Amino acid sequence: MSGDIATTSTTPSAVATAITGDEETHSTSITTTTSTNKPHITWSDSYTKAQKAIQSLTSILPSIPPSLSSSETPASCLLRDAETAAQISNLLRQPDSGAGDDNICRWLYDTFQYSEPELHIVVLRFLPVIAGVYLSRVNLHKPLAGFEAVLLALYGYETSVRNSQSVTVNIPDLSHSSIYHETNKAPKNSATELNLAVISPSLEPYGIVRSTKRARIVAVALELYYSKLPQIPVESKIEFCEFCKIWSSGHGESSGNEAKKSIYMPWELLQPVLRILGHCLMGYKRDEKLYQSAIGAIGCLYERALHDLNTKAMLATGSLLQLVKLGAESDEVDYTEINIESNTINL
Amino acid sequence: MSGNESAELGKADVDPSVRQVCANGICMETNVVEAKLDEGNIQEAESALREGLSLNFEEARALLGRLEYQRGNVEGALRVFDGIDLQAAIQRMQPSVTEKQPSKKGRTRSIESVPGVSQHAAGLVLEAIYLKAKSLQKLGRLNEAARECLSVLDAVEKIFDSGIPDVLVENKLQETVTHAVELLPELWKQAGCYSEAMSAYRRALLSQWNLDNDCCARIQKAFAVFLLYSGVEVCPPSLAVQIDGSYVPRNNLEEAILLLMILMRKVYLGKIKWDPSVLEHLTFALSVCSQTSVLGKQLEEVMPGVLNRIDRWRSLALCYSAAGQNKTALSLLQKSLHKDEEPNDVLSLLLAAKICSEDVFLAAEGVKYAQRAITNAQDSNEHLKGVGLRMLGLCLGKQAKVATSDFERSRLQSEALKSLDGAMALEHENTDLMFDLGVQYAEHRNLDAALQYARKYVDATGGSALIGWRLLALVLSAQQRYSEAEVVIDAAFDETVKWDQGPLLRMKAKLKISQSQYIEAVEPYRHLLSLVQAQRKSYGPFRNAPQVEDDKVNEYEVWHGLADLYSSLSHFKDAETCLDKARALIEHSADTLHIEGKIMNLIYNG
Repeated sequence: MSGDIATTSTTPSAVATAITGDEETHSTSITTTTSTNKPHITWSDSYTKAQKAIQSLTSILPSIPPSLSSSETPASCLLRDAETAAQISNLLRQPDSGAGDDNICRWLYDTFQYSEPELHIVVLRFLPVIAGVYLSRVNLHKPLAGFEAVLLALYGYETSVRNSQSVTVNIPDLSHSSIYHETNKAPKNSATELNLAVISPSLEPYGIVRSTKRARIVAVALELYYSKLPQIPVESKIEFCEFCKIWSSGHGESSGNEAKKSIYMPWELLQPVLRILGHCLMGYKRDEKLYQSAIGAIGCLYERALHDLNTKAMLATGSLLQLVKLGAESDEVDYTEINIESNTINL
Repeated sequence: MSGNESAELGKADVDPSVRQVCANGICMETNVVEAKLDEGNIQEAESALREGLSLNFEEARALLGRLEYQRGNVEGALRVFDGIDLQAAIQRMQPSVTEKQPSKKGRTRSIESVPGVSQHAAGLVLEAIYLKAKSLQKLGRLNEAARECLSVLDAVEKIFDSGIPDVLVENKLQETVTHAVELLPELWKQAGCYSEAMSAYRRALLSQWNLDNDCCARIQKAFAVFLLYSGVEVCPPSLAVQIDGSYVPRNNLEEAILLLMILMRKVYLGKIKWDPSVLEHLTFALSVCSQTSVLGKQLEEVMPGVLNRIDRWRSLALCYSAAGQNKTALSLLQKSLHKDEEPNDVLSLLLAAKICSEDVFLAAEGVKYAQRAITNAQDSNEHLKGVGLRMLGLCLGKQAKVATSDFERSRLQSEALKSLDGAMALEHENTDLMFDLGVQYAEHRNLDAALQYARKYVDATGGSALIGWRLLALVLSAQQRYSEAEVVIDAAFDETVKWDQGPLLRMKAKLKISQSQYIEAVEPYRHLLSLVQAQRKSYGPFRNAPQVEDDKVNEYEVWHGLADLYSSLSHFKDAETCLDKARALIEHSADTLHIEGKIMNLIYNG
């Protein structure tokens, strides 16, 4: 997997060039960073890489818990350390964050480029804040090359993992037998046409964020986030839900200074958002705070769908709200419990 | 089991509030045994049972464990179960090699190789292991629990080496098997072992466990929910399980949708009870795939009486409208808005108005829906008033297009603008509304206001929507500010990838022509032509679709435009070539004839 990044056109240097073109004032700093990151330098193992990531973080954050630097599993410690995560989130939410010379964006970018699965999760953990702040600011005419570099790195990675292929779903047709059911009907000649649904179209490498592709780039980064959901800490998911509230309605809890207003949400962006929210709501590990947060976010998106008369979004969000309602009404029966009501035990 | 139970009940008139154990036709109260257990004296408790009920060691242990479990003392139960060598017991019950019959068909293979007596013993041992797994689960030792539970299933597969037959299985044994099949994936999930959970689900559903309909449906639903929401993408079922070309899902979503559809079908075949959550899960799955017309078909198959009919019409309307089948959607809404149904339902009114706003011949009907929506947008629906005003504005604007007089048109347009402005006061962040206002003002020839809204729209969307750029350039060109329009188009080029630039290239060419810069117009046309030809070759379902369907530029139009351009440049030969190309695509058309005429005119009349 480590070689993949270098083969896409979203290599560090391409991003650097892109940023140079986009925002001349901030080009130098990022170029320097990325040049330290050329593929020919290899670190011995994941431990060293994580250590290095923590080390460079010490120069950015005011304080780092000593347990982090001395940990034997630095990457997973970095992922789980709530205090450090809060500090990073806070930096990302600063009014002047996300520019080309933003240290924390540069750190996230570099950390992702270590091509270490655990460090990938560390970076993805901050995607809700990055995407959230970024999308709320796109029309404020502020420099955002730092955010864009991170988003493009995620996009580029997903592009290479997927080999640029689209993700599709063949909607089953029950008139054909499947592994889970049989049908008496004789199979119609060859395949009756299956409905082919494109979940995510094929990917093209992008070196810069063009505004008409912005939603798509963020959406693909969210698809990557979706694919790693089981490993992502719950706090990150809660942040995601909070941003969904802001995106859809302009209201919501935000602990920073980011602009609070609703954003333009085409379906290509809404679709991965809905899938992630489905997980936050219905995932098997029930976390009460996340659950409540997800309900709030879905409620806001439902209302937004009503206002936009977006029928597809109405159906998706409406069904999730309905599931919440049904869940509250039903009482859970444990069918795997043996009958312990009777006082008579028979052999 | 029921026969067994009634026999027992007939025999013993013991107080049912007292716990007792029964075996071999004898019942005994458990207080003595329990006291021994409480003292931690398992062996004495065991011998008390063996003597009292004439049991062997394993039977007594199994019964003791069950007693401890039932008393809620799961740690005690574990201690008791640990005393039995369950694996050895299982081994004894397996059919020996000589007994095995070389039969291939799972269903026909009977249980003959396992004598009836040992089936009872098997039931006892397997229940003991199962209760061990349950005890471990309650103690939070999930991995161990899963492994015990797994060993129940492995043992069953060894004992009945080609699936459990439909008949001839002792009730108790079947009950344990059913429980274990259902519990195993839950345990793996709780333990965080997702790929094991996934295979446990598949094993539950693909092997012969002789599960009853309800249990099978519960597992199918739990698995579908896991596939849909867990975010865990593990490998699809292997092709090895495929039977004669049957459908094998390739990913989580496909598998989830398949299972949910099967559950829906089981309901209308009367095999299981209606479970409303299945439909909601399916709704979510199919709408995120944009397959709402498939969902519509599923809804149509739901038996009458299960869903409220108005709810069903409304859901169907949403499905068909989302799938672009607006006529069907509208006729469903007309049913639900009938005076005997729910004529004042705001959501249906708004949706009906929206559909009508897209068709000049329905616009007048849409105006009525929108007005009713506005009147009824009260209380909890008050926030929808702005949406009602927007729909009213759109319908009026559409109606203006088929007005019979200038006076009428002007009146309708002014009313449309009034409504849209009213909507803006309530929905000032709604970007769609900004766009609508831009278009409406442009059509009303109030270009300054149109420009203002077009700018606002591009700004609010951060330049994300191509139509914003196009509207802005169009309004500028309508003001004859061609060079500014070109600046906008050039900026839009920077914000789009080549593949999506068709509409921009066409505008660029037209702007050049408007300024009589014919030579400069040739270049964008050439680009457009190569783009259109490349797209024709490679358009497939997997390609990025353009943001809006009518963003596709068709090849005929390009040849026709180019022919027009060449004729303006008096390059008649080139113009003829282009016309030939255009005619090859559409043989007879007024457009090509017009250009032909124009060329003739230029040639002969100079």
